[in-house]
Amino acid sequence: MRISKHFIVYLVLSCALLVSCEKNSEIKVYRVSKAPLEQSTPQQEDAMPTNSAAPRMPGVLAPTAETAVTTPPNWEAQPLSQMRQASFLAKGDNGAVADISFVSLGSAAGNVLENVNRWLGQLNQPPITEQKLGEMAQRLHTSLGDVTIVDLAGLPDNADPARDGRIIAAMVTTANATLFFKMRGNADLTEAQKGDFIKWVAAVCDSQGQTAPSQMAAALPPQTTSAPPIKWTTPEDWTEVPPTSMRYASFSAPADEGGKIDISIVTFPGDGGSDADNINRWRGQMGLPPADANAVTSQVAPLKTGDTTFSTTDIAGNKTRTIAAWTRRDGRVWFFKATGPTAAIEKEKPNFVKFIESVRF
Amino acid sequence: MGFRNMLRKIVDIFTSLKLTIVCLAAGMALIFAGTLAQVHLGIHEAQQRYFQSMFVWWPPEGRGFQFPIFPGGHLIGAVLLVNLIAAHLKRFRWNWRKLGIHLTHAGLIIMLAGGLFTDLFAVESHMQLANGDARNYSEDMRQTELAVIDTSGDDLDQVTAIPDTVLRPNRVIDHWSLPFRIAVRNFYQNSRLKMLSQAAEGAQPIANQGPGAMIAVEPVTRATASDERDVPSAAIEILPKDGGSLGTWLVSDALGAPQTFSCGGRTWRILLRPARYYKPYSVTLQKFTHDKYVGTEIPKDFSSKVTLIDPERSVNRDVLIYMNHPLRYRGETFYQAGFQKDDSATILQVVHNPSFIAPYVACVIVAAGLLVQFGFHLVGFSRQRRKAIA
Repeated sequence: MRISKHFIVYLVLSCALLVSCEKNSEIKVYRVSKAPLEQSTPQQEDAMPTNSAAPRMPGVLAPTAETAVTTPPNWEAQPLSQMRQASFLAKGDNGAVADISFVSLGSAAGNVLENVNRWLGQLNQPPITEQKLGEMAQRLHTSLGDVTIVDLAGLPDNADPARDGRIIAAMVTTANATLFFKMRGNADLTEAQKGDFIKWVAAVCDSQGQTAPSQMAAALPPQTTSAPPIKWTTPEDWTEVPPTSMRYASFSAPADEGGKIDISIVTFPGDGGSDADNINRWRGQMGLPPADANAVTSQVAPLKTGDTTFSTTDIAGNKTRTIAAWTRRDGRVWFFKATGPTAAIEKEKPNFVKFIESVRF
Repeated sequence: MGFRNMLRKIVDIFTSLKLTIVCLAAGMALIFAGTLAQVHLGIHEAQQRYFQSMFVWWPPEGRGFQFPIFPGGHLIGAVLLVNLIAAHLKRFRWNWRKLGIHLTHAGLIIMLAGGLFTDLFAVESHMQLANGDARNYSEDMRQTELAVIDTSGDDLDQVTAIPDTVLRPNRVIDHWSLPFRIAVRNFYQNSRLKMLSQAAEGAQPIANQGPGAMIAVEPVTRATASDERDVPSAAIEILPKDGGSLGTWLVSDALGAPQTFSCGGRTWRILLRPARYYKPYSVTLQKFTHDKYVGTEIPKDFSSKVTLIDPERSVNRDVLIYMNHPLRYRGETFYQAGFQKDDSATILQVVHNPSFIAPYVACVIVAAGLLVQFGFHLVGFSRQRRKAIA
């Protein structure tokens, strides 16, 4: 009875403590990846999250697919996500495209039948049995082991036949990783690219097989490693810093106020969006409201350097300022941008112009 | 002796069956008042004031002194739970014939405790996805947070998320992750933003930095309809820890783009946004389907085909979420909750409820207890009847 008395008092106190806790009053601190989440359009359905609080990739192999293996000339390298070790776009006639990807997951990434049925589902096709899979799958011998290759056809509802209709996929499981290669796009283009795709799969697997385990933890290369090399002269007070995955090159210049100026070179295949979109994106990054198209046009000035004409702009925020130059050539867009405290940018502007003038493609 | 007497009195109060009756009556009155209050306050606000609180306060708003006028749901529930356990312990005598009573009480205790835990620890949020969109966070449209983001890292942004419950006027927030203090100059739970040129004459901005210097903020009454939500706004002053002030910024859910400033050699981004819950996996919407009965606008079926990708667990699978078929993953449940008016996006309700199993377990135990109890009575009754006939 005495135990019960004390127990009851403890019970009362515990309940009072429990119900008096204030919910949602704690300040939380966490880190998220800067890389955007890959949009899982029908061409990019191997999308992997890149913004997870603590991104990890179990059993990932070295991303040598893009760097060490020669790819067909009509495959355009695409921006990488954290889970895509290689990403290409093949283009055909009449707007036909095919998306090609290489993704490495942990060894428990599902068996071949589960993945094939998942791909069939993406093409709006019914699942198949193990027996049917055995009849349709091809084997490719590589130094990593036997790769299973499947060729699946089907057009999902409302899909664009120029961009969808067929998946050719290859999959191999090693001791610590499962490698997925996938080409999805227009049916005819995919058929035409099948030979090149299988050669590429074999080359990547052979190169992975020869990669020493110690090298397998290599960091992801910058996305622009396949971009053509360009030359420039770095101003004296600029320091080159290691580029991030989104940048071709990065520099830092000191600012009088103790801050620094961040200078970047970024390149993408294609035209990189309209000038208005880019300038308004930069304005947004500086906390400025978007400007209308006429106002944007009036802020763009040409800069001729040798055989290249750059477009330039100068955006002043409240305390920061951005100067940028960009040009489009050979199917790519090149952005050169400097951001920093207003006074420091004003001082550094002549150096930035000299830097742009020194760029040689 | 005095202490023992006091202890005995406390125990007597909490084991009293009169207290049970008082709690049940107070609960009924509270439910009646809370239901009526939903007309003016909306369901969410009424729930918070009447059921998710220790007391119902009067006057309900304002900075002045407030009086507790009635016990709130948390207090009544907790007292009832303690009363039930205490009374049962005091009167507990093991007897097979009372197995049914014990089971029924145990079921009720689990149900009450489960309700309390759900109220305290469950988190409901939403994930809105257009076709092709990928998200690794859900948002709580009823909670707001001030996100202060250190963008100086090469690959990762460090986010300091300050909940709106902390953003109260004249409060100064000093946190280890920030090289500055944040002084909250104004906070509006619901507001309307207007450009100064369009605002009433004499309107003044509440900020002197960023776009806020050109914007007037008008406080408006809280949104109460289920399809409306507040637009919170605040004026915050950034005070570097080594002295001085960088100015006052307007942060608001109505401002689209985040604002930036430099402090401590780093660039910071600030924005007021719905509270976010990040996940170690992502959900990508492949296709949202909204079928209607032929020839009508009456909805027949909604479904969202999503791809669930979890690199930590090597998961990459497609899932179809539709009515009564939620996705359950890593302790969270994704329900098909709604869609945008033009079917441009699906809205998934994301519920994290560690005690979701409690009501099911409680119902089974209560049902078993009642069956056992009535079973004993039935067997006893039929035996007596048989004896009487014999």
